[in-house]
Parts: sequence; structure tokens; C-alpha cells
Amino acid sequence: MGFALFGERGWDANTAPMNPAACPRAPTNPNPRRPGRRRRIALIAACSGLLGLVPRAAGQTVVALPPPSDLKKLSVDELMDINVTSVSLHSEKLSEAASAIQVITADDIASSTATSIPEALRLASNLEVAQIDSRQWAISARGFNNLFADKMLVLIDGRSVYTPLYAGVYWDVQDTIMEDIDRIEVISGPGATQWGANAVNGVINISTKTAMETQGGLVVAGGGSELEDSEEVRYGGKLAPGVDYRVYAKYFDRGDSVLPNGSAAGDAWRMGQTGFRLDSDAAEGTWLTLQGDFYDGSVTRQGPEDIHMSGGNLLGRWTRTFDDNSDMVAQVYYDETYRKIPNSFTQSLNTYDFDFKYRLPIGKVNDFTWGLGYRLEDDDITNTPAEAFLPSQATEQTFNTFVQDEITLVDDRLHLTLGTKFEEYSFTGDEFEPSARAAWTPSGDQTVWAAVSRAVRVPSRIDLDLYEPATPPYRQAGGPGVVSEKLIAYELGYRKQLSSAVALSLATYYNDYSDLRGLEPLNPPAAFPVQVDSGLRGKSSGAELAADWRISRVWRLHGGWTEMRVGSSPEPGSTDRVANRSIALDPNHQVQLRSLLDLSAQWQFDTDLRYVGPIANQRVPGYTEMDQRLAWRPVPAWEFSLNGQNLLHDYHAEFNPPGSRREIGRSIFGKAAWRF
Amino acid sequence: MALLTSIWRSAILRVARWLFALALLHAAAAQAAAPPPEYQLKAIFLFNFAQFVEWPPRATGGEQEPFVIGVLGDDPFGPYLDETVKGEKIGNHPMVVRRYRRAEEVGDCNVLFISRSESDRMGQIIAAFRGRSVLTVGDVDDFNRVGGIVRFVTEQGKIRLRIDVKAAQAAGLTISSKLLRSATLVTAEDK
Repeated sequence: MGFALFGERGWDANTAPMNPAACPRAPTNPNPRRPGRRRRIALIAACSGLLGLVPRAAGQTVVALPPPSDLKKLSVDELMDINVTSVSLHSEKLSEAASAIQVITADDIASSTATSIPEALRLASNLEVAQIDSRQWAISARGFNNLFADKMLVLIDGRSVYTPLYAGVYWDVQDTIMEDIDRIEVISGPGATQWGANAVNGVINISTKTAMETQGGLVVAGGGSELEDSEEVRYGGKLAPGVDYRVYAKYFDRGDSVLPNGSAAGDAWRMGQTGFRLDSDAAEGTWLTLQGDFYDGSVTRQGPEDIHMSGGNLLGRWTRTFDDNSDMVAQVYYDETYRKIPNSFTQSLNTYDFDFKYRLPIGKVNDFTWGLGYRLEDDDITNTPAEAFLPSQATEQTFNTFVQDEITLVDDRLHLTLGTKFEEYSFTGDEFEPSARAAWTPSGDQTVWAAVSRAVRVPSRIDLDLYEPATPPYRQAGGPGVVSEKLIAYELGYRKQLSSAVALSLATYYNDYSDLRGLEPLNPPAAFPVQVDSGLRGKSSGAELAADWRISRVWRLHGGWTEMRVGSSPEPGSTDRVANRSIALDPNHQVQLRSLLDLSAQWQFDTDLRYVGPIANQRVPGYTEMDQRLAWRPVPAWEFSLNGQNLLHDYHAEFNPPGSRREIGRSIFGKAAWRF
Repeated sequence: MALLTSIWRSAILRVARWLFALALLHAAAAQAAAPPPEYQLKAIFLFNFAQFVEWPPRATGGEQEPFVIGVLGDDPFGPYLDETVKGEKIGNHPMVVRRYRRAEEVGDCNVLFISRSESDRMGQIIAAFRGRSVLTVGDVDDFNRVGGIVRFVTEQGKIRLRIDVKAAQAAGLTISSKLLRSATLVTAEDK
């Protein structure tokens, strides 16, 4: 788990009470690169009030470190996250101190059995992560989970991977070398003010390491029962002083999921990916990043032809820090995805995106950020008789502006963040997403925070343009009148460091949704045909508790407990009976326990235990599962591990009603890694 | 009466002036006493190395023998390092800090930080410790190249470690994989 709460086998900023003003971090949003790689602890330490910013003459700031007695409690990785300079790029976001954030660190991933990004996301206890079949996942925070969980925004190195076709994420093509992931921030709760539309229930922000941090060679090979074989190769070097690069390639074959009767589901798949990243800090105060990925893969189907997916992206980012502690970030990227699902549709999507952000601290009280962005998404569908997106080609343009002020009301004690995003959509018009967040730190070891925010999910093509079948009479018709889904969210949270070894974090929320996507019968009382509309309301409430207990230098425990109640109802005048029963497919309870144990300097033994409650309206039973890993590092260059996932059952169900269900089998695999 | 008042006033003024000067001095002294954050953090790392490195038994000596963190050359840490190790023990060995002007003065020592002031003769100094179980630590650019074991590098304001495992092995030291995992591994040939 690497909860946000806890840093690597350590402690993490977020459980630790924060003094947000003081945390050296980088601007989160659209530039999660190294300078911006705000790793947990900078925070942690920083934030636990450990770190204070001591104002000096001329508005210059100097980081004051906590006393040695506090620093000695941090792990080596945590120490490495503390920034010893006053570069504003590393300043903490106040807005995040007042939010439910959990951070999965590189070390969390390294000490888990995770071989993919969705598997790593199981480590965040504030997420619902359900594996649907061999390659598809339902991942969301705070309810309304589904194959296309349309209320979670997901970014990889500042690039949105939320698809505007289906309003969700194709998890099967979001990949990289697991060892190159620097951190995954999981924010449950709305992040729209900063991140924009679709960050309704949460944001998953994945950052990879800089090229500077991935110098040298890495070869990882593994194989076993579900992950049949997997190879990764990466090499990093220097092009010039201050200019570093890495290149990588990976390939894997993954086996079938399981039908409820125990036979193989015939959905094995394979994927190859290659990419590069180039970072330069050669010029003083400037950081440049250029990176790209290309992938190609296919999925076996019970049918004539395999599903085929491929794509690529190229991203450039320029970050400039000025002497007055202000900084700016400009980012541009191009992303191309292609997916052919025989007998269903073929999609080709090209995205062009530009973002700019400028942060300017004014005096000691105000820390002001503004930004703007433009995105063009060109989506071209080849339809089949079974279903059709009409029109088949669509181009959407989005323009957004964003302002935010982080206000220090009482030094080290009371902070308020006010901000709003304004977005202009060519499909649906204008959206306004304001929020107010406050963090109160009554004493150095505890923080109380509260927030009220508005967020929207803008309609996607699946809402507006999808018709089944492709020609009238339609059984399901698109909804040209669909409007944005809206959320008003109320959040209240508390973090407390109980002792030097135990830290707790609690986040609670009440969410009030309106204009949720529904299916309105066109000739009631007949259930079909239906048309997509915005006829549902929803409410949810819940609590996310996470704890970190550092029993000794060699043994740490992390725990997470999430309670959630989600419901929907037709708005007055709606006769929806179909969508209302199926838009909230969420377990009421989830419990996690993670043990990280260093048996000796060479041996590690890690265990993840999770309980997920039943999903009543899909008749998915509750289940308990366990992952374990035993790793041996005889010499620094070599690591061998034996990994087991879902060890408690031969196979178990995580999602979907019995008729369309695929179950998830036990997976055992070995892995060897060589660094040179 | 007026005279008394005026004497009284001037006395107060004089005292105030002195206090002000003292306060300034105090502030300046406090400033000087606290090393820059970079060296505060490096001091904590030196303390941590003691936890993650295994010395051969002969190097740590008998019971109650101190575990020595040495600083050779100009001391960038000041009292901060002493405060860091105060009351700490490695097994039965109480940790102490010792400062040396010259390499020849270094006696029993487990972790030795070699200061920038010794840049010019870094190679000779490190060569002098060859065959002794001393974890050499430094932050000059060519520290690893001249045979030093752990080099601090500051990247993007954060402290990184470059560790030469071969040099550590030659010194009879075993570095925990936990520390190595967080470090960049180098050999003397790599730059």
C-alpha cells in the first residue's frame, strides 16, 4: 500500500500532520517531472511542521530543517526527498494539504508484487480497484466504479490518458517500466479546480523518474502462471553535461482470466512498448524534458479476429524558475491511440495539448498561481452494424483558464486555498469549477482540513453519439441533449502523528451529484428503446482511514479501511429504470493490511492482505485475497524474487454480474533483475 | 531631579544599545553555529550509514569501544553532527565524533567524512586508508574516481548517493541492499 500516507517503507507526508506552507514541492499539475517530483517526504518532513520556511530579507526564503532527533526517524529515501535549497519548484501545494491524498512511492512498488500500473494502484487504500478480466480494470475513488470509471482523471507525466470516447481509461495500454515510476499520487475527492473537468471523484497522477535517476542499465525478466513471460530492458546515459537520457523496451505475455465454471476465458494478451526520456538541467534555473512512448499489442478473443491496440505519444516540457521564487511551466504533447475491436468499432484518436502555468508568491501571505490550456481531440471511428458513433468523426476543442491563491492566514497554523477553473468546451459550452480548502494545524503533530468544491464530468462521445444498432430503429440512441454531470463535494479530514512510530489519516466526505447520465425509456412503460439523458441524481458518503506503524527499523505495517455508501435516484420526471440500477457498482467496505519486513540485509518478505466487501447490485461476493513476495539481493546488482498474487483462492470474482463475469486466477511468478 | 532623570535615561539607552549589540552577536553566532541545510542533512546521512553498513568485528573493537564518525579537514557540520549522534549507540558501541586536521591523525575510525578542504590531496588521503575498514565519505566531484566509497551529490536540491561497492568490499565493509537500492552504484572507472 503505499498509502499516501506513508512513504516508502516509511512514513509519509500525508499522515504526518502537515504544515503546508512549508513544504518544498513542485507544482503538481501539468508537470510532474522531477523538479516537480514532489516526493512524499519532502513533504513529509517538510510538512510535518518539521520544515519551516524562514523568511529572510528581500523575500528570499531558506529552508530550515527540523532538529536531528526528527530527521533521524526518516528513512534514507525520505531523507533523499528533502530539498535543501529554496527553489520554489519544490514548494508544497497548500491545496493538497487540505485533500485526501495517498502516495504510492517507487519503494512501495518495488516491495510489492505489482507488475502493472493497475496492480500498483491496489496499494492505495482510497481507491476501488477491481480486475474485470485478463486486461480490463475498474478503478475509481469514492464510488460509481465501472470498466469506464468516468469520474477519475488519470495523468502520466502530465499527459491525460482519460479517453473522450468512452469517458474513462483504457488501462491495458497505460504502461511503463515499473522500476522507472517515481511516484503515483492518488487524490480521492474532486481535483477539478486544479486539474480540470472529469477530476470529479479523484485524480491519479503518475510520474516517472527523471533520466538523471535512471542512469545505467536494467534488465528484468520474469515469468509464471498468469504473467507468462515478461522482459524489460532500460539503459540511461549522458549526452552532454546536464543532459541525460534513457531508452527502454518491454514486452509481456499475460494469460487468460477464468470463467465462473473454472475454464479458461480465452482472453490472453500481449503487449510490446518502447520509449525514451531526455532531461536537461544544463541551464541555470531551467529544466527541459522530452519524452515519448510507443506501444502495440493484441488480445485473443473467442471470435474471428484479435483485438488490436497501438499508440504513441510525444511530450515536451519547459520549466523556468526565477530569482524571486516564482516559476513557470509550459508543456505541449501529442498523443495517438488506435484500437480495433472486430465486430464492434475501430477508433483512432489524436490529441494535441498545450498547458501553461505561472506561480507567483506575493509577500508572505499570498501564493498565486494562474494557468491556461488548450486541447484538441480528433476522434475518428469506423463503425460496424452492431453499434455506431454518429457522426463517426468528431473534433473537440477545450480552452481552460485557472486561478488559485494559497493564503497563509496564520503562519504555520491556518491556510486557505481559493481557486477556480473555467473551461470552454466545443461540445457542451462553459464549465466553472471553484473550490475552497482550509487546513488548520493547531499543533505540530495534527492537522484538520475541510473543503467544499464543485466539479463536472463533461459529456463524452459515448453519451452523445453512440447508437445501437447503427441504423434505426435504435434500441439505444445517443443523447444530443446530455449536459455535464455536476458534483458539489463536502470534505473533512484529520491527520495525526500519534507517536514517532504511528501516524493516522482520516478523510470523510459527502458528495451530492446531479445530472448523472441515465437511460430514458422513449416509450414507457416499455423498457426499450432508450435514449441517453442526464436524468439521475446521486449521493455518496464515506470515510477513508489509513495508518502507518513503524514497528522497528526492519518492520513496518500499513493499514487502510474505507467505508462507502453510494446511491442514485431518478430526477423528477425521469422514468429511468436501467441506468439507475447499475451506475453505482461499489463495495461498501474495503480493508487493507500491508507488512514490509526486512529479514536481513539481503532478504525481504512482504505481504499484502485485502478484503473487499460484496458488490450487491452485481452479486459479486465479498472476498479476501493475499499477495506475497520474497526477495533476495545477494549482491547489489542482482535481485531475485518469488511473487504470488491472489494466493488464497484458485480464482475469485471481482466485478460484473454472473452472466458476463470473468474471474481472476492465482498468479505465481519469479523475477530476476540485473542492474549494471 | 532633572539631572537624575537624564542620567537614568542615558543609562537605559546605553543598556539598550548593549543589549541590541548582544542580540546581533547572538544572532550572528547562531547563524554560524547551524550549518547550511545541506550539511545538516549530510550529518544525518553519516549517522544513517552506521546503521546500514556492517563492519568486520575487528573494526568495531571490544565492548564499550566507541563507534567513531570522523571528520577530516575543515568541519562543515559544527555542533550539529555532535547533536545528531549524542546518546546513540551501534550495538554496545557509543557513537562519537572526532575531528582530524591531517590523515595521519586518524586512528580507529568507522565512518570518515573527508572535507572539501582536502580536495587537492584527496587521492593520497584515500590511498592511505586502503586496506582499513573505514567507510570514506565525501562530496567533491571526483571522490569516487579517486577511490572514495560514498559520494554525496546534490541534484535538484536533493542529496543523492553514489556508492562504489567494490571499494567498500575491498575495505571489508558490507553495505545493506536497502541503502544501495536508494543509491547510484558506481565504480572507480565511471568518471
